[in-house]
Amino acid sequence: MRETAAIALARTVATLSRRLGRGGRTLPGVIVGKIAPNLPRKLAGQLPGGCILVTGTNGKTTTTKLLVAALRRSGESVLTNDSGANLRSGVVSALLSAADLRGRIRATVGVFEVDEASLRLVAPELRPRHIVVLNLFRDQLDRYGEVDTTAALLAEGIAATDARLYLNADDARVASLAAAASGPDRVSYFGVEQLPDRLTDARSAVDSDRCPSCGERLRFDRIFYSHLGHYSCPNGDFDRPRPDVTVTDVVHADLDGTEFTVSAGGVRRQVRCGLSGTYNLYNALAAVSVAAGLGVDPAVTAEAVRTTEAAFGRVEKTEVQGRTLWLLLIKNPAGFAQVLDTFLIGRTQPQVMIAVNDLPADGRDVSWLWDVPLEALSASRPEVVTAGTRAAEMALRLHYAGTEAAVASSVDDGISRLLEGLPPGGDGYILPTYTAMLQVRRALRGRQEAA
Amino acid sequence: MIKTLRVAHLYPRDLNVYGDLGNVITLAKRLEWRGFRAEILPVEPGHFFDFSSVDLVFGGGGQNSAQAVNADDLLARGDELRKISADGVPMLLICGSYQLFGREFVDADGRRYPGLGIFRSSTTAGRHRMIGNIVVDSPFGQLVGFENHSGRTVLEEGQQALGTVRQGFGNNGGTGDEGAVVGNTIGTYLHGPALPKNPGLADHLLLCALHRRYGIEELEPLDDDLALRAATVAAARPQGRQTSLRPRRRRLHHLATALRRH
Repeated sequence: MRETAAIALARTVATLSRRLGRGGRTLPGVIVGKIAPNLPRKLAGQLPGGCILVTGTNGKTTTTKLLVAALRRSGESVLTNDSGANLRSGVVSALLSAADLRGRIRATVGVFEVDEASLRLVAPELRPRHIVVLNLFRDQLDRYGEVDTTAALLAEGIAATDARLYLNADDARVASLAAAASGPDRVSYFGVEQLPDRLTDARSAVDSDRCPSCGERLRFDRIFYSHLGHYSCPNGDFDRPRPDVTVTDVVHADLDGTEFTVSAGGVRRQVRCGLSGTYNLYNALAAVSVAAGLGVDPAVTAEAVRTTEAAFGRVEKTEVQGRTLWLLLIKNPAGFAQVLDTFLIGRTQPQVMIAVNDLPADGRDVSWLWDVPLEALSASRPEVVTAGTRAAEMALRLHYAGTEAAVASSVDDGISRLLEGLPPGGDGYILPTYTAMLQVRRALRGRQEAA
Repeated sequence: MIKTLRVAHLYPRDLNVYGDLGNVITLAKRLEWRGFRAEILPVEPGHFFDFSSVDLVFGGGGQNSAQAVNADDLLARGDELRKISADGVPMLLICGSYQLFGREFVDADGRRYPGLGIFRSSTTAGRHRMIGNIVVDSPFGQLVGFENHSGRTVLEEGQQALGTVRQGFGNNGGTGDEGAVVGNTIGTYLHGPALPKNPGLADHLLLCALHRRYGIEELEPLDDDLALRAATVAAARPQGRQTSLRPRRRRLHHLATALRRH
């Protein structure tokens, strides 16, 4: 009775909230948490295929999307939080939206992206059968504290379940989370064996380059990006685990995507991913790895990866007034560096708008902009306009990196200036933080409707 | 021959938690724009380093784990650092480095770590984390930055602060002072990129160093309009909040220890 009331109330709230333009993606979850705290567990328990949780600093949304596509293609009815609401309330709201008034769910499997700090709240409730950890980078220190703390939060969430873990072998701190698994046979690793030289980052490892066991500086044979690569502890205390699913050969990579060979259980398969950048290569690899673990036909997975488009704001292409605008979300130094490497560096005079907000969802602290290797960008002689609450700070960072940017008075003004500089048929690049991306999308929608 | 300053960067790979590199970039660029050059010399744990010919020292903040690794190494270099600090070599120490340049640091479990004792200060890990935009009145102008620390630093009688907190928490959230100054050695909780938005402070450090090395009395002014705009915006953004971490922290500490043992 209580649960029926909770579901009815949550639905009403979701509808109202959507009508008011608030999205309705988290409030129902908050309400149910108060009046029927056991409901999420009951709902999740009905899924015959159980739940899969995807977490880590970068790539949660994209990996979730790829995995959902693979499962749907293989005939599953998948429940997911594809709008990116990845705190506990967002996951619970997604579960509620699929339940009927008697609390029954028709879906067969749940795939949810979960914020790093929320895993410890969500995991005990949903009792996932599988957990994927993608990577750990410095991100929003004002919210999470240190990367060490984030790793411990993830370990707490993992230890509360007996899920199978899918861990990135190339990230030492992620690989070390195997210690929190319920058993050694419940861990699978994915990793990259080889990338073309031009995609192998020559810069030294940053963020997380110490042995998770003894604290000694790790030795790197290869670095693919940030601190992801092939490492070993000089004291022999922690070596890169041998991955079960690997990328062995990248034959092609450009702005339209990447083509690579995945090797799993001795079987090699060529996969094409429509999303560019090394970071998306890792996302695709993670999704392929989990799909393999779930028994999805590899051909079906490969087809899903080939045809899936980028998630909300991550490498999104929009046509506006005969110009192509690329929306490339920036959230932290590692992700920003990947966007630069993939889209801007090496291009002649790229036209760019960088929109930096410091609202809670972006992180109040914009210090991280100083960790982004923007110096490399100046050789491309970009034309940059900055926008957002911290437009001046971003312009100051660029000034010190050798690029003079114009400071726009608003996100809308920034878009106008970007479009003015673009010839018909030209490409413009918009790099927004999370809330700035929402503003950009609203502004672009307005222009498309007006046109 | 381009006039060059030798800048020692303490443990750049470990004490670089969030934007600390911005300070080194700022020092180097402001020299370059005036026709000088910076030679950035990393100080790594266990490696030989001769501080006697250094013109400026910078140290950033680190994760607790990294701080412990480097504290011993820093202590071993104590005599050299105390000597050059007393000789007037300008230094900027932020967050973790600032704490280690004081007399001692007491962690959440009550363990005491001795520091260099250059600042007459001591730091205790508090039960709250002090986080947010901060504005400080100082002899180098109004300083604007972001703080994020659980350490509460208390200055001893006679230890001069860097400035007075106008908005935010500062050394301990109670006494209203922020940072510490001994001669040309400056410590502060304005974490990460303290210098880009505070060019007056950057130029003070540079002029001290250029004066010692080359007898230069005055710096050519730069166009700092953008820095001023960025600082004005930051000063107007929402200010600090305290986040309680204690109960969760203890559990996390046990988990982190358990993980390390595996």
